[in-house]
Amino acid sequence: MSVAQAEARELELEDQSGLWRDAFDRLRRNPGAIAGTVIIAGFAAIALLAPALAPHGPNEQVGGLAAVPPGPSTDFPLGLDQQGRDVLSRIIFGARLSLLVGVVSAGVGLSLGLVLGSLAGYFGRWIDSIIMRVMDLMLAVPQFLLALAIVTALGPGLIQIMFAVGVANVPQFARLLRGGILAQRESDYVLAARSLGAPGRRLLLAHILPNSVAPVIVQGTLAMATAIIDVAGLSFLGLGPADPGLTEWGKMVAENAGRLESAPHLVLFPGFAIVISVLGLNLVGDGLREALDPKLKN
Amino acid sequence: MALLSIDDLEVEFETRRATIHAVNRISFSLDSGETLGIVGESGCGKSVSSLAVLGILPANARVAGRVEFAGDDLLALPDSKMRAVRGRDISMIFQDPMTSLNPVLTVGRQITETLRKHLRMDAAQADEEAARLLERVGIADARNRLRDYPHQFSGGMRQRVMIAMAISCRPKVLIADEPTTALDVTLQAQILEVLRALVAEERMGLILITHDLGVVAGLCERTIVMYAGRIVESGPTRELFARPRHPYTLGLLKSVPRVDARAKERLVPIPGTPRDLRSLEAGCAFAPRCPYATERSRAETPQLRPIDDLEHRVACWNPVPDGDLPPSRPPAPVEEER
Repeated sequence: MSVAQAEARELELEDQSGLWRDAFDRLRRNPGAIAGTVIIAGFAAIALLAPALAPHGPNEQVGGLAAVPPGPSTDFPLGLDQQGRDVLSRIIFGARLSLLVGVVSAGVGLSLGLVLGSLAGYFGRWIDSIIMRVMDLMLAVPQFLLALAIVTALGPGLIQIMFAVGVANVPQFARLLRGGILAQRESDYVLAARSLGAPGRRLLLAHILPNSVAPVIVQGTLAMATAIIDVAGLSFLGLGPADPGLTEWGKMVAENAGRLESAPHLVLFPGFAIVISVLGLNLVGDGLREALDPKLKN
Repeated sequence: MALLSIDDLEVEFETRRATIHAVNRISFSLDSGETLGIVGESGCGKSVSSLAVLGILPANARVAGRVEFAGDDLLALPDSKMRAVRGRDISMIFQDPMTSLNPVLTVGRQITETLRKHLRMDAAQADEEAARLLERVGIADARNRLRDYPHQFSGGMRQRVMIAMAISCRPKVLIADEPTTALDVTLQAQILEVLRALVAEERMGLILITHDLGVVAGLCERTIVMYAGRIVESGPTRELFARPRHPYTLGLLKSVPRVDARAKERLVPIPGTPRDLRSLEAGCAFAPRCPYATERSRAETPQLRPIDDLEHRVACWNPVPDGDLPPSRPPAPVEEER
């Protein structure tokens, strides 16, 4: 078989593949992205199956009250806290809230950012000016401080936190998408679609948006990681979920920060959970960035 | 009556610093089954004119004049009505096949979109028709290729897809804006053949915008030469190439290399650069670069007027005299080295 024939064969085999399928294939070949996906899938499974996996309830007192809580042992692999609750069980149940917070906050930021960025980029003129100046104002304040200010205004609570962290994320999504739309809006295929009679709504939704949304999706995974950290930080400052029965990694670290010397396991293990999940999300984000970049097409 | 007639079309772009006079009162008409060539160098207003006909210029453009099609002045139609004209009655093929297709939609989707919108076909009919169209422009295995994405096609095939999209609703006017510029020579010939067949079989009116005089010579019955936003010469292609009366047309013809050129024959470039379109001074725009320019050329703007015969028109105060016309070896002679 000649080289040309072999090439033709290969082209034929690739025949059915599409843009997203290509991206998926590239993602599959990226070891970092696979590791990230495994980590995130693992945490998601833990969160879903928490009642079955956790040896104890998150607020169940399995040991006595102790000034210096006991560290890891064979009965309690990650030790107990000062109220005699099993740290492993608390981390497992905490995964539910921490992941939820990450997904919801990033989702809030992403959806608001998509709407605002599309409006600004597509319509331009004064709509663009107003939206982007507000975004600039928000970007001028460090993101965490912004979230802190919003939570302070809304009052502590889970919903408020997720909303605040999400809103603090909006400017970066809006900015990223607006840039993409501006770049695509003047492109030849949009002009070609107009020349064939496509209405403005279709131009934006079917032609411009799908071509500018890839970097925003990547940013979404990274925003989930920072959302988990931000929520942990807000909890650390005492602005976390008001219900003391709710377990969350950041709150676990915050409550026990003062015991770092006497009972380091209370801080370190939930801290590891945060670090590993954020690492997983960052790996997936990096993988997506490479997979969705059309210049790396092979 | 002409299929499409353009009267005193004027396009200006309002920019922060100045007003760009991109097209200055041009008029021409097109009949069905006719191929009209528009030639001129980059920035002379060829593409802007065609975008103006379709009403898809950027927001900072000001358009004046009349574009008459099927009894309507297209420039006065509301956008909702104009959208129904675009793609259905008048459609356009763009220059760069690599960037003119949406990379995230399948080729089939992009063709059927127009069919479903304008001809109200259902999904199955549209697929059927799209496959037929791809076959029509010479893409093998058309049915299966409908599911492919643009990046899976080569440049020439993408240009065919573009043509298939543009002709999908059997438009009465097809505007091809440098359809072969981005392609290599063998593909150029194939694409031009596809266009020629379409004009012959569907009785479409074709406006072929190009700077390739060879393409014009081979395909167009009539030719318009544009310079700095104005028509400087127009006429039957054969006549125009044999007796170019505008010094700019002559310059264009002299700067084209010929396959049958003898050794040592030199190309003669046109000196200078095109005029700045920001000002609308009186005088012929070509005068600064023109060896035939007179006092009058610099003072007064020449209007198109008949010369030689009624069909041949030129906008020049001092048309190229008979003695300077190229020897009769059409289409594009080269001046011999002295």
